[in-house]
Amino acid sequence: MNMIQSIIFLIASMVAISGFYIQGIEFIIANIRGQSIQSILIASLSFIMGFLERSLDLIILGIMVVILRVILINYFLERTIPKKRKFSVEKYLSVPYLLIVDLIFIVLSVILIYKFVFSSMILRESIAPSNILVFPLITFFQGMFLIASRKSTHTQIIGYVEEENAMILFGIFLLPIPLIIEASIFLDVLALVVISSIIVLEKNEHNPVEDLIG
Amino acid sequence: MEETLLLETISQVLFTLLMAPLFSGIMVKLKANVESRKGPSIFQPYFDLIKLFKKEILIPSTSGIFFKIGPYLSFSIYLFISFLIPVLIPTPVIFTASADFLGGALLFSTASFIKALAAFDSGSNYAKLGASRIMSFNFLAEGTLITVFFAVSILTGTNNPYTTIELLTSNPLSDLSLLHLFSLIAFFMLFLFETGKIPLESKGVQELGMIDSSLNFEYSGKLLALNEWGSYMKQYLLGSVLLNVFLFPWGLFSGVPFFLIDIPIMFLKWMILIIIITVIETSLAKLRLFRIIDYLTVAFTFSVLFLILTEVISV
Repeated sequence: MNMIQSIIFLIASMVAISGFYIQGIEFIIANIRGQSIQSILIASLSFIMGFLERSLDLIILGIMVVILRVILINYFLERTIPKKRKFSVEKYLSVPYLLIVDLIFIVLSVILIYKFVFSSMILRESIAPSNILVFPLITFFQGMFLIASRKSTHTQIIGYVEEENAMILFGIFLLPIPLIIEASIFLDVLALVVISSIIVLEKNEHNPVEDLIG
Repeated sequence: MEETLLLETISQVLFTLLMAPLFSGIMVKLKANVESRKGPSIFQPYFDLIKLFKKEILIPSTSGIFFKIGPYLSFSIYLFISFLIPVLIPTPVIFTASADFLGGALLFSTASFIKALAAFDSGSNYAKLGASRIMSFNFLAEGTLITVFFAVSILTGTNNPYTTIELLTSNPLSDLSLLHLFSLIAFFMLFLFETGKIPLESKGVQELGMIDSSLNFEYSGKLLALNEWGSYMKQYLLGSVLLNVFLFPWGLFSGVPFFLIDIPIMFLKWMILIIIITVIETSLAKLRLFRIIDYLTVAFTFSVLFLILTEVISV
């Protein structure tokens, strides 16, 4: 592994670790900012790959991630939290339990999927070996687990955005998707966040079995 | 050859035994200076130990036999570990072959278990509280310790710490960047917990948040001295593993005249570690007691993640 590959691996693993941070923190505002940090890391990966591949698409993708993910989604979500409740936390949260369950879940799912699906795939060897795909997988499952494990609507939206982040990371590593599709996905997510931030104002906790209560 | 080995062994064990309190003293002094206090002399741990060895032993009437033999056992375990891991000499010494990395980790666990058990045997409610406190945190700490050692074993293909050190020094730095970083973070977090540094524990008898020092409540005289000395040695041993296997494996020599250079080198390495610890201790606030388990979970998560990445990245 050369120096550039090491840096790419390091940033990709930081994306996965920021997922653990989002999972482990109780403060809702820190959750939202954790998502921004994750997006900054993904944008920096996109820039590095863009410069290496000399591809304008990846650089534009990086700029879009910065504008839409880091700034706009953060802005819309933070605006829904009233100033008085800036330090609101999610109650009844057992962090060690969540982190360990998250870890077990991820280890099992990643190893299984990686062994059966991705290990035979050949990537652009010039940039990264194919096992870098483990990191988007880890991030994806963390997003899913975040939605499943939390009640606060803010955190569930963050979980959804995290899944989308994993998709972008897949896109960056796997094969260049046409820019127009990526852009439409971004705008789609932004619209979703804007709409759900209105729902948040109405109701900021969602339980999994709510519909059954009637 | 035989004499060289003997000399190296003696110097390694004696260095661990005699210098461990000094590093603790320097740490306290430096922290006091940073906080604009004069602080005790750097030789204060030696004075404390000498004073305690002169005092008589008081044994509570409610205590059992294990209360009396516990300190001797844990002290001798720490002394034995100093044969096993490369704390001064980078090549194997006498008795090194008797245990590997995992054996060392298990010995550390055994020593802390014996200490907790001996405190439990004292019959005092406070010491029992401390023992149960230690046990409720240690299950994650031991897991981290063993996982980090497992991961290093997978990475280097050997479970002997001396071979690991040789592999690390003979390979270029770029080969071990990411994996090394993860193991370093996990082990450093564990080191702060095991030696009772400030984000986890602030020491002193009047502290409510103490963990390790609560085990010494009922001890006095020689037994207390042995326990304290054991704690200093534990700090030195864990810190030296951190320095020699994870942080700076370079710069140690073996052979008759050369191994003497290891002593000032080890001293310099420890100074760097002490400065890092002082920065952490003086800039962070203490965590609440029930938050320590979160901290240890993060360390454990790092170590397991590292274990997975060892498998994934090392291609």
